[in-house]
Amino acid sequence: MTDKLERELKKALERVDPPLGFAERVLARAANEEESNAPPRAWFGWFPAGGLRWAMTGTLCAALAASGIAYRQERERRGQRAKEQLMLALRITSSKLQIATESMQEMNSRLVHQP
Amino acid sequence: MVFSIAYHFLQNGAAAEEVAQDVFLELFRSLPKLESGAHVTFWLRRVACHRSIDYARRRKNAAAEVSWDDLPEPSHGRVPAEAPADPLLSNRLRQVIATLPEKMRMVVILRYQEDAGLEEIAKTMSIPLNTVKSTLHRAHAALRDKIRASVGEGNL
Repeated sequence: MTDKLERELKKALERVDPPLGFAERVLARAANEEESNAPPRAWFGWFPAGGLRWAMTGTLCAALAASGIAYRQERERRGQRAKEQLMLALRITSSKLQIATESMQEMNSRLVHQP
Repeated sequence: MVFSIAYHFLQNGAAAEEVAQDVFLELFRSLPKLESGAHVTFWLRRVACHRSIDYARRRKNAAAEVSWDDLPEPSHGRVPAEAPADPLLSNRLRQVIATLPEKMRMVVILRYQEDAGLEEIAKTMSIPLNTVKSTLHRAHAALRDKIRASVGEGNL
């Protein structure tokens, strides 16, 4: 009997999605709060001002998919992007170092061969 | 998850949206403290519970706002294939759940909407595990009695 009650409770309490436009309304409220708190930037202080809206949009999307999968995938994507950026930075640094080394060698050889 | 917890608890779409918006704004403020996706989920569930209970306490007339005609169809669910839902019974159950005391109602929602384990419910609501067990036991008895009284003996 409890089993049947539990089955019926699961059916009665199925998840209900938020109404359309919910995410936009949250972002609008966040933006309003940001404006009203403008001089001392309160809790938004740690967001870069220009990127605030995008940062919050990304966060909200991740949270709405909060059971985990979408959020984890996003984290993995960000990790991968960060890794790629690091590799790119390392490659750029390495090539710049190479150019600097070559310049120094060239200067040294000029100094040595100067009369 | 957040909207749905508030919706089933408050039985009012506008109130549920207000609570859910508050929860997400609170999430933005608390992001630096949250460590992982699982932590975010736990945090959202916990804050949604507490905010919903606080909201209901602030507006004791919430029960009077119930509009059963406004209830949307559930968007996705875990209905066993062999047993199609009885919309009348489901509706009646939601009405009866709305009459339960606040904490009991939230335990039922976490258990059957969120599929949460007993320990998870205890952590989410900051109450002892034994309290969760006894509350759920009493909720079953209360729900069964009320449903029998209104829908009939054979339904549960």
